[in-house]
Amino acid sequence: MSIEVQHVTKRFGAFTALDDVSLKVETGELVALLGPSGSGKTTLLRIIAGLDFPEPGGGQILYHGQDVTDLPASQRKAGFAFQHYALFRHLTVFENVAFGLRVRPRATRPDERAIRQRVGELLGLVQLGPLAQRLPAQLSGGQRQRVSLARALAVEPRVLLLDEPFGALDAKVRKELRRWLRHLHEEIHLTTLFVTHDQEEALELASRVAILREGRIEQVGSPETIYEHPASPFVYDFLGNVNLFRGRIEQGSVRIGGVRFDAGGVIGSPETAALAFVRPHDIRVTRCGKGQSTLPARVVRFHTVGPVAHLDLERLDDRSCVSVQLSKEELQDLSLQVGEVVQVEFRKVRVFSEDYSI
Amino acid sequence: MRHLRQRSVLPGFGLTLGYSLLYLGLIVLIPLASTFLKTTTLSWSEFWAAVSSPRVVASYRLSFGASFLAGLVNCLAGLVVAWVLVRYEFWGKRLVDALVDLPFALPTAVAGIALTTLYARTGWIGAWLEPLGISVAFTPLGVFVALTFIGLPFVVRTVQPVLQDLEPELEEAAASLGANRWQTFRRILLPVLRPALLTGFALAFARALGEYGSVVFISGNMPMKTEITPLLIITKLEQYDYAGATALAAVMLVISFALLLAINLLHWWGSRHHAPA
Repeated sequence: MSIEVQHVTKRFGAFTALDDVSLKVETGELVALLGPSGSGKTTLLRIIAGLDFPEPGGGQILYHGQDVTDLPASQRKAGFAFQHYALFRHLTVFENVAFGLRVRPRATRPDERAIRQRVGELLGLVQLGPLAQRLPAQLSGGQRQRVSLARALAVEPRVLLLDEPFGALDAKVRKELRRWLRHLHEEIHLTTLFVTHDQEEALELASRVAILREGRIEQVGSPETIYEHPASPFVYDFLGNVNLFRGRIEQGSVRIGGVRFDAGGVIGSPETAALAFVRPHDIRVTRCGKGQSTLPARVVRFHTVGPVAHLDLERLDDRSCVSVQLSKEELQDLSLQVGEVVQVEFRKVRVFSEDYSI
Repeated sequence: MRHLRQRSVLPGFGLTLGYSLLYLGLIVLIPLASTFLKTTTLSWSEFWAAVSSPRVVASYRLSFGASFLAGLVNCLAGLVVAWVLVRYEFWGKRLVDALVDLPFALPTAVAGIALTTLYARTGWIGAWLEPLGISVAFTPLGVFVALTFIGLPFVVRTVQPVLQDLEPELEEAAASLGANRWQTFRRILLPVLRPALLTGFALAFARALGEYGSVVFISGNMPMKTEITPLLIITKLEQYDYAGATALAAVMLVISFALLLAINLLHWWGSRHHAPA
């Protein structure tokens, strides 16, 4: 079941939450809506679920080509998981999961035995079988979110919509649940759309990522594309883990602090102020620079986490920070001292003219 | 002795419990006990005659019946008012919120006179109801109207905070699972609101039982028809029949206590079967 969002606009008073947003999620895809808070990602998910509605005449939502824009949530058959689970606290885990089956019209309602079987299967799927008679208050956060997923799956939804599903969990549980969700998706292949502000989560889990900014979609693509070829300074900045240098574009190359670097294709207008992005692992550090494309910098501190070494440098010219990632072995070979001056080279630079925006 | 007392981080258990018991004793138990004590000056047959005469029994029926119905109606009306005040934003919301408490503040006699004026045959509302064959003032219906009026704030004020704590996500979750509005209300909202509704009902019911001021004006106080028990007690007092008055009071107290106890048991039973989160 595919989901199609066509030119959706939504305002809350004077605030425009979504501005002419279009997005297509193919059948069986696992897509992440990624963006900072206030970017409209949750609003978009709620509109797809039917919990909010676009402005009159402000776009359409299609499920598998069928227009559902005016259908209320109860008739869309979209499974929805909330950030804070929204479990029914007076019902047991079993009854929470069974709820969607029990409220069906009599004609399509399964009998008690079928309900027991279906709920039992789902609780097995989310590995909560033994806790069926517990109340939500007696469960941990990770268990509650799994109950809410089982509850959403019980109604055999056409699509699965998750609003920051792991947002309220601690790092370890989040990692486990992420892996579990990935596994679940491979098993049942349900078209899934999830909202997150955690770029790592989006890149790890999703088959495609849509990045939102101020109510617009900034870029849609596979995690590799998004990470390797960010379409705008915003995406670079938001994905994080990047060094930003200010410079000037001159004849197809970029000048940073008096040194010219090969820009390898400039996005935006030529001969202006520029923003150059370099990932920490695209920086090479040497003792003595060869050629002219190196910046001198002082070593501020370094530390290693597992096989990766992090190096903080300070540029000599404008004292701005440069962070570098290299392997532990490389760091050992360099045998650096704090305070020492080294030369910085860029393997790969991405340059945008400063006035550039999508 | 020391090892019998459990250590607790909350200080002052002895002091606060002692104060609570003293206070309840002085304010509630001693006056009530004196009522029973005064009743014992009657012999059993005198007592029985005082509390079981047809006129008195009719007043019980009216008092308890009208109070019960008023409590029920307030449950529904109070829930709706609380719902509107919590869930919607509208102009004048604060004003409506303040209006809810007015039946608390208004002297009951004023309320009684106002209601009587409105519902009398020539009153603003009574004039409209008269052609329909409905008369409110000076009938049991009038008693019911007055008791509904004074009981409303209890339900609104007990349900309001619970509704405020109820996340809208619960209803959205129910909707996304295919439940219609009625199913969402019955299966999700009502179980959570039930304890508060029950408490509100008990308070409104108890208040209505004891109400005197507003009812005596609108009821017309016709023996066997529109006399409430508190009125009969006053009547007996005015005739210097103190023992007879306390006998009636004792009967009312016992029945009220039994009913309130039953409501509390229902409450307790409900919370055991729907354990709180």
